Amino acid sequence: MPAIESRPVAAEAAATGSASGRTGGPAGAPRRPLAPRPRFSRAHLREWAWGYAMIAPLFVGLVLFYLWPIVQSAYFSFTEWGAFGGQEWVGFKNYSAFMSDPQLPRAAWNTVKYALIILAGIPISIVFAALLNQVHGKYATLYRILYFLPVVSMPAAVAMVWRWLYNGDYGLINYLLSLVGIHGPHWVSDGRYTVYALGVVGIWSSLGYNMIIFAAGLKNIPRQYYEASSLDGAGRVRQFFSVTLPLLSPSIFFVSVLSVIGGLQMFDLVLMMLGKTNPALADSKTIAYLFYEDAFITNNQGLAAAIAVVLTLVLLALTALQFRLQKRWVHYG
Amino acid sequence: MFRKVLVLTGAGALALAATGCSSSKSGSSSAGKTESGPVTLSYGIWDAKQKPAMQQMADAFHAAHPDITIDIQVTPNADYWTKLQTAAASGTAPDVFWMNGPRVGLYAGQKQLLSLSDKPGFDNTPFPKALNDVYTLDGKQYAMPKDFDTVGLWYNKKLFDAAGVKYPDATWTWQNVIDAAQKLNDPGKGVWGIASPDWTQENLFNTMLQAGGSAISADKKKSGFDDPKSLAGLQYALDFVTKYKVSPTAQQMTDTQPDQLFASGKVAMFTDGDYDLPEYKGAAGLDADVAPLPAGPDGKKATVINGLGNVIYAKTKHPEAAWEWVKYLGSKEANEIQAKTGTVIPAYNGLSAEWVASAPQYHLQVFIDQLNDAVPYPVSKNTAAWSKPMQDTLDQIWGGKLDLQTGAKQIADQMNAALAKE
Amino acid sequence: MGDAGSGSTLIRQRLWPVHVILAVGAAAMVTPFLWQLITSLQSTSESTSVPPHFLPSWKWGNYSQVFHDTPFADQFWNSVVQTVVRVLAQVLFCSMAAYAFARLKFPGRNALFLLMLAVLMVPSQVYLLPQYQLVQNLGLLNTLSGVVLPGLFSAFGTFMLRQFFLSLPNEVEEAARLDGAGTFRIFWSVMLPLAKPGLISMGVLTVLWSWNDLLWPLVVVNNDTKMPLTVGLATLQGEHLTEYPLLMAGSLLASLPMILLFLAAQRRITEGIALTGTK
Repeated sequence: MPAIESRPVAAEAAATGSASGRTGGPAGAPRRPLAPRPRFSRAHLREWAWGYAMIAPLFVGLVLFYLWPIVQSAYFSFTEWGAFGGQEWVGFKNYSAFMSDPQLPRAAWNTVKYALIILAGIPISIVFAALLNQVHGKYATLYRILYFLPVVSMPAAVAMVWRWLYNGDYGLINYLLSLVGIHGPHWVSDGRYTVYALGVVGIWSSLGYNMIIFAAGLKNIPRQYYEASSLDGAGRVRQFFSVTLPLLSPSIFFVSVLSVIGGLQMFDLVLMMLGKTNPALADSKTIAYLFYEDAFITNNQGLAAAIAVVLTLVLLALTALQFRLQKRWVHYG
Repeated sequence: MFRKVLVLTGAGALALAATGCSSSKSGSSSAGKTESGPVTLSYGIWDAKQKPAMQQMADAFHAAHPDITIDIQVTPNADYWTKLQTAAASGTAPDVFWMNGPRVGLYAGQKQLLSLSDKPGFDNTPFPKALNDVYTLDGKQYAMPKDFDTVGLWYNKKLFDAAGVKYPDATWTWQNVIDAAQKLNDPGKGVWGIASPDWTQENLFNTMLQAGGSAISADKKKSGFDDPKSLAGLQYALDFVTKYKVSPTAQQMTDTQPDQLFASGKVAMFTDGDYDLPEYKGAAGLDADVAPLPAGPDGKKATVINGLGNVIYAKTKHPEAAWEWVKYLGSKEANEIQAKTGTVIPAYNGLSAEWVASAPQYHLQVFIDQLNDAVPYPVSKNTAAWSKPMQDTLDQIWGGKLDLQTGAKQIADQMNAALAKE
Repeated sequence: MGDAGSGSTLIRQRLWPVHVILAVGAAAMVTPFLWQLITSLQSTSESTSVPPHFLPSWKWGNYSQVFHDTPFADQFWNSVVQTVVRVLAQVLFCSMAAYAFARLKFPGRNALFLLMLAVLMVPSQVYLLPQYQLVQNLGLLNTLSGVVLPGLFSAFGTFMLRQFFLSLPNEVEEAARLDGAGTFRIFWSVMLPLAKPGLISMGVLTVLWSWNDLLWPLVVVNNDTKMPLTVGLATLQGEHLTEYPLLMAGSLLASLPMILLFLAAQRRITEGIALTGTK
């Protein structure tokens, strides 16, 4: 769903980006105090105390609600829960149950497909961002507002609207298709189309967000680069590939890390656009949906925890892979 | 300086406490420790439409028992059971809550409910026997019947008039329905003869019974889905979609639910429970009525009867107060309040007339008259264990991914395996 | 295609195709909202007519029915409280921690910072069950406090503000220190005012995220009067599965506050988002 939903991930990408990619930037400089101070002076100790005091409120919350839960989830994944309470250590049973779940291949494939569709939205966003940067004044503001509306709309509401647009018999989309002689399918109740239908909504609702980031990235490209390449006789198309794309690559990298992670966690669109009683649901489930189902519908919490752990490992591996590959194509100016 | 930080974090905690205070009142059974002082009972229900009626009863009860206050908690139907189970697992379920046939076996069997038969002054004689039986396990009754529902054949009078077809009545059989559906079907106008979804309570459980079969054997040990007669009932319902093509497809009925199709005049006939009366009553431009369900090929008439009961949570801190409330809910006075509000048929014998009179434009009496042919909704001790796979497989059959023979056999196997574990 | 020489007449002449493409795209972005509005003012039978009615019969009653069928006003209030409390707490907790991470030196700082980043690396599914249990043990299931609680603390907000503090010049702070100001005073009276743009960006993002948050409240709240609007909508859909005019009215009402906020603070929001992408 829209980038807002997968917000923490933005920081993740940026975090590791600044740690590995841009060392020595503004992040590095102020860490050293300007005047050397003696070790263990009273001022020093007071600074320590203040440091701990100021992070304490946050860390109490983080430990209670985020850090300790990570440990607990890992533990839960090795247990089985009774219908009305009680936990039992079962070793790797949940993992093997997950791996042999007949729903898994389909759900994994759906998840990957969905992430790929969201990735395909990136070139579209770049083109629109470049176009937007050509326009100025009140038109630019108007376009920016219109393209950004889906990002601020409530995802639960967006899902409902699209479910209605996609209605096979009375939806606007199939009506418009019928005007050009196409008999549209049942987009969100026929398992052959659901993943694509949801993917389009994913692109629609993240386009504005991506555009803003690309537009900012484009504005940061110094004009001299274009002038230099014009002097070399490069046309606009070649300029786009030789100047714009390489210099935009940090933004592209940031957005694609976000998109992959967001795509792999796809859940609320499935829940809200298909609903629990949809015959196409079996064909459209994602890994994150399997998690929700086991955790809160069939009360298989141990299995759900195992799914969460596997999902985490896959995400970490993929993000690490993306960072490894970035050295080949991302240029930090 | 340090004090300032403390003040600030304190402010944060205060903000938290403020939101806590405004909402913690409703916290379930944990409120109040002693049985003698004022007691607040939480009462879990799932239908927001019935909340006003429940509130009226709660107020009347509070007037008679000033030290017991009822806090009604509405959990939407879609999440009611999953949330109730989680709450019960942690000992925090409401003191009194709604229960239905399919779930009572699980909750009573797992000792989550108090037996009402042991309570002083328990009397189940004012209720239909079929309902008492649904809530009785090993000779003990666990729920006070609240209401019941049966299924009827709803039809759109305007569409029948336009097609020149006689209205359905008590003499109708399956063949009449098939003939009428074919005459009423008009793809050019976007009108279907009938809506035949894979819904069980409204459609399939009834057709299976009318054909002489059943979803589950009388001793609740065996599935009825491999009985050829049951299969005939399923086939009849499926034929509307696949053979006669006079019903919307499963996909169409997912995009737009059959009750909405009926309410907006797109469907001429739909078998549906009395509980959708408010929806049809409120639909603009809909001129509809209801008839008894048709008889099967051998003239057998049948509808499933389902309903709700009020149960007491086994871990309630106020068992006596909870029993007072449940006893009141089973009283004539409480049932009269239910009857007047016209949302559901009260379980109390002889009070249905008020409900029937609440919407005189419909022949609601058919829902009451069908009590004679009513069969309890199919349940076992752990209904949920087989009902979900059953529905999933039915979805596949209706979605055209599985043929009926194979699918029904699959359901029977899954069900028998689940029943063997009980 | 870059922003090269945007002032030249060459570009200006070529601007109309740009407008055409942008306008077509904008239409695709806006049509769902228009259709939502139109359907929300129709009767059920109008909404299912073929071909569709493009002019509704102005059934404003659908909106009052949303209020009648669901405790919409309660849910609206819950969303407001949930959002306001979370934003205030996050701004306070995160800015303090962010300042400490950016400017103070204390043993274990880097280790703690990495620990905090670990929170960002893990998908929300991992926290969900234990958070649920914790809130349950605190007796806060089915309460607004339970909904609000985990969202009071944000590793993301802290991270974002730390980056912002790092980008602020050192001189002002040193000057204040030489004047004898203590650590907290420097933070409170010198650095926080300087960090205002960062705080606003972070606050706005938190508002958006909190208002639209679905999964956590969906899991924690049962009672329809304790839900925020997101869960209320999911419920409305559960009850009136495909009664589209009603669903459209409800979903429009629920989205409206954020759309209005966005229109009012459009520049701040887009700048805040650009900030997350470039920092």
